[in-house]
Amino acid sequence: MKILIIEDENELADSISEYLSEENYLCEFARTYNQALEKIESFHYDCILLDIMLPDGNGMNILEELKRQDKQDGVIIVSAKNALDDKIKGLKIGADDYLTKPFHLSELAARIYSVIRRKQFGNSNTVRQNELEIDLLAKTISVHNHLVSLTKKEFDLLLYFVGNKNRVISKSTLAEHLSGDFADMLDNHDFVYAHIKNLKKKLNEADCGNYLKTVYGTGYKWEG
Amino acid sequence: MNKLLNKSLKSFTIYALIVLAASVPAYLYLVDSIWLRELDEHNEIVADRTDNELNKLELSETELNQSIVLWNKIQPGTNLQKTTLEKNRKDSTYTVSRKNPYVTHEDVDRFRGLSRVIEINGQNYLLTVETNVEETEETVVAIAILTFLFFLILVVGFLILNRRLSVKLWQPFRNTLASLKTFNLNTQSNILFKKSNILEFEELNVALNKLIEHTVSVYNSQKEFTENASHELQTPLAIIKNKLDILLQKEALTDRQYQLIEDINKALTRVSRINKNLLLLAKIENHQFDDSETINLSELTPECIEQLQEHFANKDLNLKSSIDEDCVVTGNRILIEILINNLLLNSIRHNLLKGTVEVKLSKSGFIISNSGRTALEQEQLFKRFKKTSDESSGSGLGLAIVEQICKRHQWEIVYEFQQETHIFKISF
Repeated sequence: MKILIIEDENELADSISEYLSEENYLCEFARTYNQALEKIESFHYDCILLDIMLPDGNGMNILEELKRQDKQDGVIIVSAKNALDDKIKGLKIGADDYLTKPFHLSELAARIYSVIRRKQFGNSNTVRQNELEIDLLAKTISVHNHLVSLTKKEFDLLLYFVGNKNRVISKSTLAEHLSGDFADMLDNHDFVYAHIKNLKKKLNEADCGNYLKTVYGTGYKWEG
Repeated sequence: MNKLLNKSLKSFTIYALIVLAASVPAYLYLVDSIWLRELDEHNEIVADRTDNELNKLELSETELNQSIVLWNKIQPGTNLQKTTLEKNRKDSTYTVSRKNPYVTHEDVDRFRGLSRVIEINGQNYLLTVETNVEETEETVVAIAILTFLFFLILVVGFLILNRRLSVKLWQPFRNTLASLKTFNLNTQSNILFKKSNILEFEELNVALNKLIEHTVSVYNSQKEFTENASHELQTPLAIIKNKLDILLQKEALTDRQYQLIEDINKALTRVSRINKNLLLLAKIENHQFDDSETINLSELTPECIEQLQEHFANKDLNLKSSIDEDCVVTGNRILIEILINNLLLNSIRHNLLKGTVEVKLSKSGFIISNSGRTALEQEQLFKRFKKTSDESSGSGLGLAIVEQICKRHQWEIVYEFQQETHIFKISF
């Protein structure tokens, strides 16, 4: 899988690439608007991470250029601005997702995972891990071909883990993922534990392998 | 509050009263002395004539005596008496008050008299001439009444002038004041003072213009600073966050190290949130939100509550909501969602275990109340970073944002604490 990181901040680009490359993603960089234009013209990427505030141009134009060239690359806008206008405009022009800085790499990985799956697997978008089968379109899972009913949050969590296989994800990161903006305003993150407990229990009852491991007391890791 | 012109009116009135009151004795003295002098003159003329005419008649002794008797009887105010006084005795004048025998009322009349020795047929007679003169008291009353009348005319004149002046003279000031009142630092509508040809008012306008310009520029740079600073912080925050994520993946972390990373993560989340909220506040203040959407609160509110359902459940809170149908407002959807969420989150965070939360929505307003122990400080409540409880999490900006959003939509928000319940009321 090839990822293009269009980001003028080296430190950020490096971190993203370091995190993603362990997931068998091949990361390429573009530090400027012009570099980015060159790259998207010459190559195809499975996913493009686009910082819309570049020193020599507006990332939105890159998005328009992609559309003009009828490219099918998935695009996730990464912006320091939490401006809704940009978000709506970006999604309208053809971006697949929008992420506001600062974000967790696990969040980014989960979104990249979803975007790529959606782009490439179209109508039969299922992920398999031994006895576990996840249907991303229908948002259902089955174990040993038996449907297991999950709540929206449990499914969301499961997908997050699958998008971050073999990574340690801390409780606070999950809290942020589940409650979005509210996470830090809540006194405790026990609700994360409750969801995970339920998810584990349901998988366990359906005789699914124990892929979700607890690490360091409050961290989690999906093995696969 | 007193009007400025009324203050000067009061002093003017008192001054006029003193001057006019002082004029009463002065007038009295003047009028009385003129009066007496004229009467003395008159008496003298009468005496001269009597002297001359009686001598011209060349009456015999008996005729003269008869005439004098008759004279004394019918000539009013004069009297002739034989006297032993010397002829060249100096005339004497006197004032006397006595009852008038010919009128029925009991008043005492004042008379001015002249007594002179005259010689008729070689015999000395004492002639007294008396003329009625106005009493001092009556003069005083007349003058006082007149003076008072003038005083009244003065006061009425002052009042009318005052009203006119306050309209005319102070018009430029009023114009300036009216423009100032419409000025809003947030909207920064340019303020234009009407030109005045009065030096003082023009100076005032110039000074105000300078002050406003300065205020606006300070305000703008402060706002810009907040927005820029928040923006600039996003990237380094993102870097720290990402590096922590990578650090977390390193094998052979101890539990202690993991916990440290987690603690940093939590603090970092808070910083990011403060940063985001500051940006949000700056944006609300900069009017970067369209507020012409039509929002059905009767639909939005349950959605917000639903999102937080598990957190209500987590604290075992008893949630009661009464939501009227079709409560529609005009505003910005995102902001209103933030408003409701912030209030709901507060009602969860600052609640007791197994406490209650009540949400009431009607066409006139939105009320959210929750159980609590002590009242919060009214004054500090909506201020930025003023923590009114000892709870440490949270950005300290939630209620400031709530207030800003209310202001933006011209709603009024009040806080009350009644029967161990925090109540936030928003009136549309």
